[in-house]
Amino acid sequence: MHNHSSFISEPLVNEQALLGELVGDHAEAWDLAMELPADMLQKLGAMGILCAEVPASFGGLGASSQHSGELTAYVGSLDSSLRSIMTSQGIAAWAIQRFGDRDQRHRYLGDLTSGDLAAVGFSEPGAGSDLAAMQTRVKRSGDSVVLDGQKMWVTGARYADLLLVLCLQDDDAAFVVVPASAPGVCIEPVPAPLGCRAAGHANIHFDNVQLPAASVLGGGGQSLPMLFTTALSYGRMSIAWGCTGIVRACLEAATEHARVREQSGKPLGQHQLVASHLADLLISEELCTLVCEHASQSWQSSSPDMVIAAVLAKQVSAGHAARSASTAVQVLASAGARDGHVVARAYRDSKVMEIIEGSNEICQLILAQHALTTV
Amino acid sequence: MSIAQIIAPVTTDSVEEALLEFLTERVKADVEADQDLFASGLVSSMFAMQLVVHLEESYDIAIVGQELKLDHFRTVQAMTALVLRLRRASGVTTDA
Repeated sequence: MHNHSSFISEPLVNEQALLGELVGDHAEAWDLAMELPADMLQKLGAMGILCAEVPASFGGLGASSQHSGELTAYVGSLDSSLRSIMTSQGIAAWAIQRFGDRDQRHRYLGDLTSGDLAAVGFSEPGAGSDLAAMQTRVKRSGDSVVLDGQKMWVTGARYADLLLVLCLQDDDAAFVVVPASAPGVCIEPVPAPLGCRAAGHANIHFDNVQLPAASVLGGGGQSLPMLFTTALSYGRMSIAWGCTGIVRACLEAATEHARVREQSGKPLGQHQLVASHLADLLISEELCTLVCEHASQSWQSSSPDMVIAAVLAKQVSAGHAARSASTAVQVLASAGARDGHVVARAYRDSKVMEIIEGSNEICQLILAQHALTTV
Repeated sequence: MSIAQIIAPVTTDSVEEALLEFLTERVKADVEADQDLFASGLVSSMFAMQLVVHLEESYDIAIVGQELKLDHFRTVQAMTALVLRLRRASGVTTDA
C-alpha cells in the first residue's frame, strides 16, 4: 500500500541494538512475573519502535514490511510477550492508517509513536472466528457515541492507553478508539495465560461508554469482514515474523547445547538422532524466513496476493515454531525443562501462536478456499 | 511503487475492461460487469481486501475510511465508479 513518502527504509540496526540491551537477560524473569516493565514499553513506544511501519509523515520510523519484520523476528527470538505488544501496537496503527480520516490518522498515529500504548479487541465470549456472532455495538447519541459489549483475550490491554475496539454499527461495523481510562471501561487481566504470559492479556467490559463521535474511525459504517481482514493481515505478518524469531531462538539454543553437552563420550550433536533434530530446526528456520520474506515482498509491492501471503506465512511460521520449540525442548531435555527458559517459553508461546490471529484450522480453511477458487 | 499497469486512458470502459480481466483470471470464471461478486459466491469477503490493494496500486488512489464499504466492491460497475470518483476527487487527471 502507499507509503505516502519517498522515504527509503533501512534495516533498523540501532533499534535492534537498543532492544537487545533493554531485554538483556530479563525475558525469563518477566515471563515468570507475568509482567513487562511499563516504563520500557512507553520508552519504546515513544521511539516509534513498537509500530515501526508507521510512515515518517505521521511521526513513525517508516520501516518497510521486511525491515519491520526482521526487527519483529529479533524481538520474537528474545521475548514473545514483548513481540506481542509490538503486534498489537502495529495492528492498531495499521487499522488507524487504513480506516481513520485525516485528522484521526494524524492524531492517533502521533499518539502511538509518542509513548501511548494500544491494544486491539476482536474476540468475544461467543465470537472468535465467527464474526456474525459479534455483539459489541456502538450507537450514535447526539454528538457522541455509546459503546456496549465485551472483548476477550485482548493482548496488551493491561498496559494500554488506547483500546481499538471492533464493533457493530447499525448494519455495518466500525473500529472505535476508546481511552482505557474512560468511565465504563473495566479491564480484567487474564490470570495465567499459557503463553506470552507477560503480554498483558485482559478481558474488557464496555458498559455504556460515552465517547466523542470522532472516536469512530472514518465515521464507521464499514464492512465487518473488511475491517477484520485488514487488521488481521498486519497481525498475521507480525506473528509470522515473530514465530520466525522463536524458531531462530530454538535453533540457537538447541545447536549450542548439542555442541557442548557430551553423552557417551561425544557431543550430543554427533549422535545421529539428535543431529536429525538440528537438521529439522535449520530447515524450519530457513523455511520460515523465506515465507516471511515472500509475504513482506507482496506487502511492499502492494500485490493483491498480500492477504493470502500473510495467511500462508502465519500458518507456516506458527506451525514450525510449535514443532521447533518441541524439538528444542527435546534436545535440551532437563536443561530446558525449566519454566522461563528460552525453549520452555518458546514451547508455551508458540502453542498460543497456533491459536491467535486465525487458528491453524481457520488458516487452513482460508488457504483451501484460495486453492478452490484460483488453482 | 510503480503504477506501470496504467497504460490506457482511465475511463469507465477501460477500468471495467481491466477489472473484468483481472477477476476472470483470479477466480477462473466469467464475470459480468453487473454481477454481485459476493452474493454469487464467486469471491469471499476476504478477497475484497485484495481488490482494495489491486485498485489502489493500479489506479494510484487511496481507498481509506468510509470508502471501505463492501457495496463499493460488490460489482465491477461499483468498483469502476469508485475508481473514477476517487481519481477525480484527488485531482488525478482523467485522460479521457
